[in-house]
Amino acid sequence: MTSTRLIHTVGTGALEWLHAHRDGFRLEQDVDPEVGFLERFKPVGELALICKVLFREGVAGSRQAQLARQLIDHAWRDTLDGGRMLLRGQRIEPLSPIPFEVYLPFKELGYSHPEAEQAFRLNQGLESFHAFELPPTRRLGLSAFQRRFGLPARPPESEVIGRTWLGRTPEPWTVEGHIAYDITHTVFHLTDWGENPDGIPAPLVDYLATWLPAWLDDWLDLERWDLLGELLVVDACLPHPTLDERAWEGFAAAQQPDGAMPAVRTMPQGDPEELFDLVYHPTLVAAFASVLATSRALTQLAHAPA
Amino acid sequence: MEQSGTSTRLADAVQGLTSELVSALRSGGPFALAAAVSAADGPAAVRVVGADAVLPSVLRRTPAGPDDLAVFSGAVRAYPPPPGASPTSVWSHWAMKRTLLRLGGTLDAPHDGVPEHNGSPEHDAEPLATWLDGASWQSLTHQLAVLAPLAVPGGDCAVTRVARGRPVDVARGFVRAVRRRDWLQAAGAGRWLVLLDGVPDTLGLEAGLAFVAQMGCADPRVTLQVEAARLMRTGAPV
Repeated sequence: MTSTRLIHTVGTGALEWLHAHRDGFRLEQDVDPEVGFLERFKPVGELALICKVLFREGVAGSRQAQLARQLIDHAWRDTLDGGRMLLRGQRIEPLSPIPFEVYLPFKELGYSHPEAEQAFRLNQGLESFHAFELPPTRRLGLSAFQRRFGLPARPPESEVIGRTWLGRTPEPWTVEGHIAYDITHTVFHLTDWGENPDGIPAPLVDYLATWLPAWLDDWLDLERWDLLGELLVVDACLPHPTLDERAWEGFAAAQQPDGAMPAVRTMPQGDPEELFDLVYHPTLVAAFASVLATSRALTQLAHAPA
Repeated sequence: MEQSGTSTRLADAVQGLTSELVSALRSGGPFALAAAVSAADGPAAVRVVGADAVLPSVLRRTPAGPDDLAVFSGAVRAYPPPPGASPTSVWSHWAMKRTLLRLGGTLDAPHDGVPEHNGSPEHDAEPLATWLDGASWQSLTHQLAVLAPLAVPGGDCAVTRVARGRPVDVARGFVRAVRRRDWLQAAGAGRWLVLLDGVPDTLGLEAGLAFVAQMGCADPRVTLQVEAARLMRTGAPV
């Protein structure tokens, strides 16, 4: 059985790194229009989502909770300028769902920007917003976020699931990197990022429980840590997580002494900003997987016979 | 250099024999082992291919000719597993002995071309499958794929009993092998899966076998396994 301590330590290390490098969560005010102002919002939204998971699961130590609080405060106050950057982004691209997607976890954590909310409500009432062409997994996530925000989910999530790759339970031996990310994100959206494991329909639970071990094995051997971390999150979202010992040990061994997690194989080289952009995501994923798996391990412990 | 030349000749002989077997399985036409191998490299090639060297007779339940049985029996006698041989080597040899006896052959060298008697029960003593106890699904699938000639209808033995108890694990191994582009292992695992109950429908085994056949078509050993699987799936008597 995988050591809960090992799983937990991956998360504490990851959070230390994210906190120490929090200035990496930055927007580019004078970005080339070809790149787009919203390009750098994604990391901020992901950070908020992970911090929310951390607060929710309640398995963080006091130092972890303090670091997470400082991180999320920094992101809201400094990076997003108290939400004003979200409003600015929405005005630049009224139909983009990105400012809304970034805002939601902040709102759920108690931050608020009424003017931005007003813009979201107005723009999401447009028929064009619903006609906006998005891949099914992304659309599923948007519907879930609409529900969480208190807006009607258009279309309802139940209508979108069947359009995702996972929802069709195809041949498991055809899974490659992009498909695997679609699978992990479908699970994140169906479970509200691990909060509601019952949100995965039973046939998909069976499918994942059957084939996830084969995918974990594969991406562990390929040393694709970012994807492996996301698959470990999926495992922790299932009713009976395996907390795969070999995968967790490999994942933990790939983590750097300062807590950074390389995306693939070993740590890349580059200046601090480049380096941040390359490893912030796998490091966030490491924190996410660790918190969820630690929580599940403790649940298993609580239910184990004395 | 001589060693290298011998190896190449043997590899060619194995490939030639395998291709003949594929043709026979596909066409349903007659197959003559004795005609498919040369006197020089034949026994070694037959030992490498193992019990599958007479697969058309096994799957179609057609009798093998006396010349074919003599060649097959010669390979069984010429290459017994050496002391300390791996379990897969021991089992592969056992599979040949069992197949030989089932087809009416004999383990004894013929005198004046006439078999003395059929194999005695001790010839058929089954090896142990304890090395598979507790094997990970990855290792199990690898071992089973090496022992694919044991995957035949009605071929009950300790190895098939292990496989029957772990259909999901073998299915996972199939996924792993395909992902790794290990077509030979995938084809061997797929052949086992055809025989197992409890294989998850979501595996898509039939499409998987076709995919493996297409991707691994350069290797006749892959094609042989897939053809065997297809025959067992669609029409060979069980």
